[in-house]
Amino acid sequence: MKPKRRGWENAVFLAPLYLFTLVFLIGPFVYMLVLSFMTRAETWGVVQEFTLRNYARILEPLYYNTLIESLKLALLVTVLVSLLGYPFGYFMAKLPPKRRALLLLLVMIPFWTSSLMRLYGWIIIFRANGLLDKLLMALHLIRKPLKMLYTYPAVAVGMVYALLPFMMLSVYSSVEKMDWTLVEAARDLGASPAKAFLTVTLKLTMPGLMTGVILTFVPSMGLFFVADILGGNKIVLLGSVIQEQLMKVHDWPFAAALSVIMMAMTSILILLYRRITGAKEMEGMI
Amino acid sequence: MKKVLAQILVLTLCISLFAGFGAVSASADNTLNLYTWAEMFDPDVLAEFEAETGITINYTNFDYDETMLAKLESTKGGDYDLVIADDYIIETVIAEGLAQKLDLSKIPNFGNINPIYQGQFYDPTDEYTAPYGAGVQTIVYDPSYVETEVTGYEDLWNEEFEDNLAVIANYRVIIGMALKVLGYSYNTNDLDELEEAAQLLYKLAPNIRLIKDDNLQDDLISGEVSAAVMYTSQVTMAKLANPELAVEYPKEGIGFGIMGMFIPSAAPNADAAHQFIDFILRPEISARCFEYLGYYCTTKPADDLINEEYREFLVLPTEFKAEDMEMIGNIGEEAAAKQEEIWIEFRNLCGA
Repeated sequence: MKPKRRGWENAVFLAPLYLFTLVFLIGPFVYMLVLSFMTRAETWGVVQEFTLRNYARILEPLYYNTLIESLKLALLVTVLVSLLGYPFGYFMAKLPPKRRALLLLLVMIPFWTSSLMRLYGWIIIFRANGLLDKLLMALHLIRKPLKMLYTYPAVAVGMVYALLPFMMLSVYSSVEKMDWTLVEAARDLGASPAKAFLTVTLKLTMPGLMTGVILTFVPSMGLFFVADILGGNKIVLLGSVIQEQLMKVHDWPFAAALSVIMMAMTSILILLYRRITGAKEMEGMI
Repeated sequence: MKKVLAQILVLTLCISLFAGFGAVSASADNTLNLYTWAEMFDPDVLAEFEAETGITINYTNFDYDETMLAKLESTKGGDYDLVIADDYIIETVIAEGLAQKLDLSKIPNFGNINPIYQGQFYDPTDEYTAPYGAGVQTIVYDPSYVETEVTGYEDLWNEEFEDNLAVIANYRVIIGMALKVLGYSYNTNDLDELEEAAQLLYKLAPNIRLIKDDNLQDDLISGEVSAAVMYTSQVTMAKLANPELAVEYPKEGIGFGIMGMFIPSAAPNADAAHQFIDFILRPEISARCFEYLGYYCTTKPADDLINEEYREFLVLPTEFKAEDMEMIGNIGEEAAAKQEEIWIEFRNLCGA
């Protein structure tokens, strides 16, 4: 028989967890929220003066358009990642265990190097007379260098590349757990393979797909270093604006307000996720 | 064999451990706490200073001027003996009383400073700082690809440069190009002038291939772009890699930035800091420093000592006049906010 733990014992065991949450999650968030309602000091720092100006500024056409453009790119990246990542995760889960483990390893290995390094790899591929140009020219598909580096497609490719594994892995974990007898039942009852996929498999793996969508959509608004390195700083993401407001302009309150908006959008997405899937926890996260 | 290697490793670890202790204990008697960006000094020069004076140098780094300012604010001007940072932040440091006046009697070589770099906005009376290197933004292009005869910023708007121009990511400098073409000051607080500059700058967007600060010279050397506006140290590296590149001082005038050495108000060892400044201002030491650093030499008698191979990049051309330069200083809040917005809009247009 398990001895019942007393209240104070519970408190002692749970204290570090609460403390951690308080210090590293709630604390910074409250700080950010408070900061977002403050006024920027003339040169450097913050004045404790309540204002809504930081939020009003987000609605100015300049920042509003940047936000919309950011969302558009995030949407494009998420769609591409889903189209590539879902089939990959699906087929990976259906492989025999040995090959599955190998494939899983291959997906993970790039994570061991810095993401910055991997982006520099794309520069070598994309740059004028780089690998891509040479290949296409050898195939006589193009005559002049494409000049792909520092363009919108280059940024999209870089983001898809950086975020694809998150989709693959969350779809994989969802498909792996699936009860295949349900698909068999659907087929036995006369559903075509396509219909069985759409009505059974897709629905059952929706939590995985949606987790992947959240893990792709949210970071793709903030991966400013991808836009900087592959986009030559010409694609302005919400993340770039936040970073610049912090590091270059020193308008901390405005940066905080932008971050709060970004977090609000993330929360809405997670709410949507729970609505759609009915799940309380994110698939593949734990 | 492996065992020997392991023993050597352990031994080195132990030694380095003690070396660390050594530095700490030395701080009680004679250490110079030097605080600046990484790679500002040739290690040999620092070793020479240590050997000559018996002072140990404790070199710590920051990435951004703002980090340095925050640190000085939190230590109330203590902990560090000598700081090297950018001009505009030094203005704030002095205004906040975080720097102390230099004792010129302890710096006999102070007269070696090139007067062109003195009396600037951040320290008009030269009481607090000694310059350590200056940079300008110049136009560099590859004459084998470019037909336009480039004489100033104005020429960069030429259609020939469509999708072929790279610029640094310093928005004051880039918006400044448009201001200069229009004949205005870099530091204008007039919002109408800024708007006029913005409209002109937006027309440059189709020519911009990339905007970045780090290693911009690589894109020029590799042929990704045919022209670039970049910092002195990058120009030096680009020219060393490809001597055929042409460097043009824009006829509209240039903005330059100066890095300055100053002693924080509560420096634990101000004497050592004075000694160090004097050491660096020796012509032969300065020459070596700037060869290493790749910025304009701010010590006049060192100009002639710099290796000929580098001299043309590290010494301002003789025809160059102080009137042609304007320093980029701090501007008012409204103008600053306007510039930030122009910068985002400009980049949106470049990416469109």
